[in-house]
Amino acid sequence: MVSLQLCNLSKSFTRRDGELPILKNIDLEIKEGEFICIVGPSGCGKTTLLNIIAGLEQATQGEVFHKGTSVKHTSPERLVIFQDLGLFPWLNVQKNVEFGLKLKGVAARERAETALRYLDMVNLIKFRDADIHELSGGMKQRVALARALAMDPEILLMDEPFTALDAQTRDILHDELQRIWSETKKTIVFVTHNVREAVCLGERVIVLSSAPAQIKASFAVNLKRPRQIEDHGLMEIVRQVLSELRFEIEKVLKEEFDAKEVN
Amino acid sequence: MPKKSIRQISFYFILFAVWEALVLLKFWPEYLFPSPFKVFETMAAGFKEASFLFAIGISLKRILIGYGISIVFGGLLGLLMGKSKFISDTVGGLVLSLQTLPSICWLPLALLWFGLNEQAIIFVAIMGALFSITIATYSGVRNVSPLYIKAGKNMGAKNITLFWEVIIPAALPSIIPGLRQGWSFAWRSLLAGELLFANLGLGYLLMMGRELNDMSQVIAVMIMIAAISVLADKFVFGRIEASIRRKWGMGKGI
Repeated sequence: MVSLQLCNLSKSFTRRDGELPILKNIDLEIKEGEFICIVGPSGCGKTTLLNIIAGLEQATQGEVFHKGTSVKHTSPERLVIFQDLGLFPWLNVQKNVEFGLKLKGVAARERAETALRYLDMVNLIKFRDADIHELSGGMKQRVALARALAMDPEILLMDEPFTALDAQTRDILHDELQRIWSETKKTIVFVTHNVREAVCLGERVIVLSSAPAQIKASFAVNLKRPRQIEDHGLMEIVRQVLSELRFEIEKVLKEEFDAKEVN
Repeated sequence: MPKKSIRQISFYFILFAVWEALVLLKFWPEYLFPSPFKVFETMAAGFKEASFLFAIGISLKRILIGYGISIVFGGLLGLLMGKSKFISDTVGGLVLSLQTLPSICWLPLALLWFGLNEQAIIFVAIMGALFSITIATYSGVRNVSPLYIKAGKNMGAKNITLFWEVIIPAALPSIIPGLRQGWSFAWRSLLAGELLFANLGLGYLLMMGRELNDMSQVIAVMIMIAAISVLADKFVFGRIEASIRRKWGMGKGI
């Protein structure tokens, strides 16, 4: 069953020097329970696309349908895990995970039970009383994941969530995310500029061009899970995706190179 | 004992020693420059016959009422200014200019409006704190990271809930210093008001010391006024601020 339909989406920002097109004629269908990865060079408009799906931004043209209903506002059924997470520093770990449930009016006791269940799922139960600033980058990612899952959304929208992590932590989180996806069967839209990450995680990989972003290609990844980022089986698909990105690759590689330089 | 307290205790010890030495050297007559022992005697006597406690009670009651009203209205005004550009463009400018006005300047107006009574003095205390609380709330709300707001909205927070559960807690690190400053402004304004006209209260006790030519009472009351303000600052606001800084991981600060 189709969960999300993006119909002819375009988005442009109005600048002083005229219109700046970001997205152009994006058409995409995402099935329920699908894990879809969207790759494209940094700055191509992936975050904007995700925000539009979430209902946090409006498209200039075209529409998003969630189970047939046009998306006008943001909703906890399409929960975003932001690149910078947006965990609340005034709440401890458990209260962060409970936050959305509290807004829903769930009773304190049930809230705590749910929060602990998901903190357990992301292996953070020991840190339930910790403050956010006490956690490492990977632990914060897990809290964000638990906070999102606790609300039991239909769709998880993940915006380059693992970009700032070191390689080992990222590998672990890739494992956990795959495990959680197979346990919960959520629809996941995962945006990244890292092609290998996309092929490792996704059932399908959508390639966007540089801005204004258009859909360049789509790849099905039918490899068995759990996959690891250095699996040989992935390499062939990675190569295909990269060749499709050809024109965009140089930017991607340059950015990864620059990122390494900075580190 | 920590190094800091040893330093502080010895500092005050030396201060009193110098003070007492100056008295013993008789640079100034005793009635203008009483010995620290005399001042403590006066203070002890004042507490014994309850006149000091009574004055402290009156002044505290006034400031708590005035300050409470300031928090409610200053907070609301600050939130409204943060929420609506129209209000911040119009009322905001006025608030800024009114904040530069020393709050005791409101006393003549208050006296004419309310008469020589409690309302007038509380009004002056309110005006002392109101605008610094307004401005701190406004800038706190304005500077809340848009990410927190997006995350809150995405999880289903709207309008009042968004304000209450996300914007205010996120702005608290900037609101608290404003409340702290507001407290000390309100206290100063209250004392100025009490000195100028009011009956009862610490300011009045201070003026009475002057009228009775009782320098030791003047100094004893001054010490109490400072002590109350320091205690509130350190034990109420200092603690709240420290706990927020700890929670947010902002380091110890000052």
